[in-house]
Amino acid sequence: MILLVLALNIAVAVLAWLLWRERRELRRLRDWAAQPRLADPPEGEGVWGEVFDHLHRHRRAGLRRRRRLAELIVRQRRAAQALPYGVAVLDAGLRLDWCNRAAAAHLGLDPDKDRGQPIANFVREPAFVQYLETRDFSQPVRVARGGERIFALQLVPFGQAEYLLLSQDVTGAERLETMRRDFVANVSHELRTPLTVLIGFLETIRDLKLDADRVRDYVGLMAPQAERMKRLVEDLLTLSALEHAPPPPADERVAVRPLLERLRAEAESLSRGQHRISLAIDGAHDLAGAESEIASAFANLVTNAVRYTPEGGEVRLSWRSGDWGAEFAVEDTGIGIAPEHLPRLTERFYRVDRGRSRETGGTGLGLAIVKHALARHNATLAIESTPGKGSRFAARFPASRLLAAATATPRPAATSSPAGR
Amino acid sequence: MPPTEHISKAFEADLEETRTRVLQMGGLVEAQILAAMRAYASGDAAIVEQVIENDRRVNGYEVAIDSACSHIVVRRQPAASDLRLIMGISKIVTDLERMGDEAEKIARMARALHQQGPQHAQRFPAIRHAADTALRMLRQALDAFARLDAAAAAEVLKEDPTIDSEFTSVLRQAITYMMEDPRTITAGLEIVWVAKAIERIGDHAKNVAEQVIYIVRGTDVRHTSFADVERELSKN
Repeated sequence: MILLVLALNIAVAVLAWLLWRERRELRRLRDWAAQPRLADPPEGEGVWGEVFDHLHRHRRAGLRRRRRLAELIVRQRRAAQALPYGVAVLDAGLRLDWCNRAAAAHLGLDPDKDRGQPIANFVREPAFVQYLETRDFSQPVRVARGGERIFALQLVPFGQAEYLLLSQDVTGAERLETMRRDFVANVSHELRTPLTVLIGFLETIRDLKLDADRVRDYVGLMAPQAERMKRLVEDLLTLSALEHAPPPPADERVAVRPLLERLRAEAESLSRGQHRISLAIDGAHDLAGAESEIASAFANLVTNAVRYTPEGGEVRLSWRSGDWGAEFAVEDTGIGIAPEHLPRLTERFYRVDRGRSRETGGTGLGLAIVKHALARHNATLAIESTPGKGSRFAARFPASRLLAAATATPRPAATSSPAGR
Repeated sequence: MPPTEHISKAFEADLEETRTRVLQMGGLVEAQILAAMRAYASGDAAIVEQVIENDRRVNGYEVAIDSACSHIVVRRQPAASDLRLIMGISKIVTDLERMGDEAEKIARMARALHQQGPQHAQRFPAIRHAADTALRMLRQALDAFARLDAAAAAEVLKEDPTIDSEFTSVLRQAITYMMEDPRTITAGLEIVWVAKAIERIGDHAKNVAEQVIYIVRGTDVRHTSFADVERELSKN
């Protein structure tokens, strides 16, 4: 009997202990489940231990998955940030959701403050507002912001009625396009003028019965116009060759002294004794580069000086070289150039005095060729001028373009035809 | 209670739409001033015509927004900050419309000026600067209105003296110009009118900025010095 009571007591005690343990584990589970993010699930015994272990594994896997997704989002955002284009995400109501730095800079947006606002509140240009209203997003729209920069903006629908707004700064491209249009217009104009004269004479000769002397006179007047067109085409070809040719060789020698002497002789013949022409050489260096380009650049400067200096004036050619580099200068006592024209002088077809330039046979491309040819040899063109007194055009070469002059006999002068202005 | 929520949502949408309309009108006025200044620099008659034509659109915006405002007041009877927004908007719209008129005036002057020779317009670089400042002020004031940012609006008020001093310098230069050669008096007077129009645009931009401060803070900063405005804003 006593044994039975004892056994019963022990059984009750064991049962109570078991119950207490179950409740303890359950409480731990409850406490953990209230805030599962903060800690790992508790340790446990028996079946509870297994349950806790499973929970633990699930939680770890969940954490890993979450971290991977977060990394993916960060990477996608970084990629969108790194795009050279502006990208903005707009919701169905065309409200700003997110934008990258380029878009913020292009459109003056603040990615944090402006979230949820209609994009049209910030991009207020009428062209863009109209673009949004017509709802035809197949083409980008060009928007000039602040009167300076031009952007191409395009909406691209994606997902569920959301939109990407892409922006690209096209200011440079627009400017280039304008330059190209101007250039074509200029060339056409320059060619049409002499062509009109030629056609006029041709029609006269065809339609009227003229005696042989008259015809010869007319042909004599037509020849210079044809010459002018030929010169223009030649200059255009030279310019285009300069633009497309490979960079000039850095080891090919251009013998400067014979080149300058030849230029001087050409200047004498162009001047026909109307100017005093001198040549001063100081320094024993040659240039490294393409002879035909250098000759063409120098010849342009020399012919300009002769053309724009009245009879009795002076043209001085000089070459100085040393460790600092070299300078080829042409000084004249000609009509000079007003300061406001200097910055634009090397632009194609820029003319200080249209009538005069044509009269002296210029194409308007000479200095553009000079500038281009010099730039290809790392040289710069410096222009100083006083109206009525004269001008000084100087081509300056860096030391890297110089070669010590060969002591041997100068090589025979190469034949190169200098292009006119 | 879904019905009331629905009503307040529709009200929100009405307010939002009106605000966007005001900003669009501002964008159009900005473009008008830019075009007028291009006409001033180039004398291009086509641009002048376009500015005059587009001013009708500016006026159309004013009428439409005003009627939207009365509509909201009558139907929704807004209170507190919503009422301030509506009142502010109706004043901003008036200022924008006046700026549009000034732009049109500049375009007409530009045409008259270039008929007397293109050289006059280039003699006054201060006009270009004043116009750039006025446009920047307008742009900043509209941005401040879009963000309802009182501090940014206060920045706009700082710029106004710049325009005033540019105007004085144009005036002085024009007087010298006219005294040197009486044949330039007509052109000189037109240049003064253009400068005056730009100065007015700056004033209106300042008014817009003041309305933004009123909408956000409920404080009236008109006819107050800039230092006082800053003190007022730093209080809250």
